Amino acid sequence: MNYLKIKKFSLRLRSVKYFLTLILPVSILIGYFFPTASAPLNTIGVSLIKLITFPAIPLVLSAVVISISSLFDFTVAKKSNNIFARKLILNLLGFIFFSAALGILVSLFIKPGILSPEGKLSIGKFMLDTTDIQVNIFNSESDSAVNSQFNFFQSLIPTNIISDAANSSTLRIITGSILTGLGLAAVPEEKAKPIISFLKSINTLSVKVLEELLVLSPLMLICLIAGAFSSISTELIITLVNLTLCVLVGSIGFLGLSKFLFRKFTSTEERKLLSTNPLDDIYMLAISTGSSMACYPTIVNTLKNIGRKDNEVEASASMSLLLARLGNIIYNVIVIIFALNLYDIRITSLILIQVLFMGILTGIATAGLTGVAVLPSIGVALTFFNLPIPPILLLIVAIDPIIDLLRSSITGVSSMALSTIVCKRELPT
Amino acid sequence: MRLFLRYLLIFVLAFFPLSGEVKASSELDAPQIDYINKIKERGFLKVGLPPYVTPPFYYPDEKTGKMAGYDIDLVTGFANKLGVEVEFDRDSKDFNDTVFRAGKGDFDLAIGKLSTTYKRMSDTHPHEYMNFRQALLVNRRFVASIDRGLSEDILGQDLLNSKMKVGIIGGSSWESYANQFMPSAQKIGYKDWPAVKKALFETNEIDAIYRDATEIKKIIYQEPNLSIKYVPILFNDVKDVISIFLPTDANIAMSDVLDFYLRDYGIKGDAEIMEELSDFYNPIS
Repeated sequence: MNYLKIKKFSLRLRSVKYFLTLILPVSILIGYFFPTASAPLNTIGVSLIKLITFPAIPLVLSAVVISISSLFDFTVAKKSNNIFARKLILNLLGFIFFSAALGILVSLFIKPGILSPEGKLSIGKFMLDTTDIQVNIFNSESDSAVNSQFNFFQSLIPTNIISDAANSSTLRIITGSILTGLGLAAVPEEKAKPIISFLKSINTLSVKVLEELLVLSPLMLICLIAGAFSSISTELIITLVNLTLCVLVGSIGFLGLSKFLFRKFTSTEERKLLSTNPLDDIYMLAISTGSSMACYPTIVNTLKNIGRKDNEVEASASMSLLLARLGNIIYNVIVIIFALNLYDIRITSLILIQVLFMGILTGIATAGLTGVAVLPSIGVALTFFNLPIPPILLLIVAIDPIIDLLRSSITGVSSMALSTIVCKRELPT
Repeated sequence: MRLFLRYLLIFVLAFFPLSGEVKASSELDAPQIDYINKIKERGFLKVGLPPYVTPPFYYPDEKTGKMAGYDIDLVTGFANKLGVEVEFDRDSKDFNDTVFRAGKGDFDLAIGKLSTTYKRMSDTHPHEYMNFRQALLVNRRFVASIDRGLSEDILGQDLLNSKMKVGIIGGSSWESYANQFMPSAQKIGYKDWPAVKKALFETNEIDAIYRDATEIKKIIYQEPNLSIKYVPILFNDVKDVISIFLPTDANIAMSDVLDFYLRDYGIKGDAEIMEELSDFYNPIS
């Protein structure tokens, strides 16, 4: 069996069907019949998580710079016909912030991660030794004494994008990337082109590395689920169902909102041209394929069929599907709040603002990624809140094949709604 | 003359062996033997123990009511080598007082997970038998409030430089360590370890508690759910050196014997101790 065949087999194993019929039963059987192997399996699983999250920083850095630069370049460059561009950008930003806010509202209402004592005991037992922080105080350098009042603002100021990346300074990487993206959008195209090309190469390389590492993801799933089997209780399963419910509510909420917006921004004549409700089609397509990009032809064809401008439809559909990643933004927000609840961190208004921005930025950073590949970006957000990554990823990785479908459906239907709002009707010639 | 020579011979025969005995007797009177002889005559080794209960190192056995634990076994084994019993004195006020009284000669030695500090070394003579990493158990909220997303080492430095409220046992070496390593922290001393833990877990008066890795890890091993809200921070390069303390007389007399005995035990770190005493440290099932 050569590597390509293994890779193909691994890809198949990452589907919901194989997860439910093969990975889950095999993991449970291993966990049940070899309980003594749970500790080494856990260690292997956590090591594989660390390995898979390794390309996260260059991925986030390059994705944020490219996204910001292309977003703002679009507004600047197309000033001549800037009505569409401005409308697209504003709506895109509006949808992004709305999706993050919806994620927060749903999480505050359903409260994922708030556990009963039994559930806490179950997770706590799994986390023993794993989340300890080991430090060497005489061999480290501290750049300044801490002034906790201004610490957050200090941590926003990037020092040097390379050293910030090397130090895993999450917030500085993101603010540095935004500034770099804005700068790139402002410089002449010929000067920006080589840098954007270089960043795209880094992004492609990171995605490629991640893709290759994800060959190991079925093994990681088996190790983690089997390793955790002895310590995971019914309470924990209920918690994960709670988390899934949040994303499901977000998904159904977005479907309802998108249907409303589609109805509001299309005329009766336009709707008469359609035999079925396109939002339902897109929702089902995304749910069944797990890919929001699979919705692209349906979105474009539907809007073209009702007479919207071809170029605008293509631009808005691709921009919203590729860059906005609303499903991932909602999901990341929900997972961050899940983790904060799990760790009993009091959710203040400042924390909520931080969650909003971290959810948006890490969600945007997942452009071009699907399935478990989006999870490293959540790790970046968790690092920002100083929450241990492996236990959270272990919990969410187990339900990710199901959640992935819901994420895709949110991105798909919101793209359709956004394109309907911003794309004008083609004038008769 | 012959009579004189006879008396001289008698005198020489009588007194030369005697002067040899005098020499041997003065060797026996060396302080080392003398001190140990005194212990042997007394029939027991006087051992100072802090007035606390610190399982698995020293605690009253549930069935017999007698003191038991790692430190108790160690010192009882030493007494057995000397051929005597052990008598424990637990009347000291706190850890510092236990060492201070050992220095005054109230006991032959003091044991009981006693840390080594410069101040204590000025009163007594320490003999190291364990060293544990120093550790904090910190509320994750506090960690989140100061973390800058940098490395764990930087986080450790930031914690030590922060204004966190840290709970310690009053009158213990941890006061000195806290003053040395956490100059800006608000140090709050409590009467004993249960009171320190209560301040963190029940009354939420403090952000962190400070002691060695065996005590910090024991808390979350016994209540794993606490590891969701609190995180152990282990300082790999700051050790709590645990010693047996001897007064000067006893040190002159017994240091060689004690060191020879401790060589069999070896100097153990926190990981070895937690493995060796896994009944106490194993996570609850």
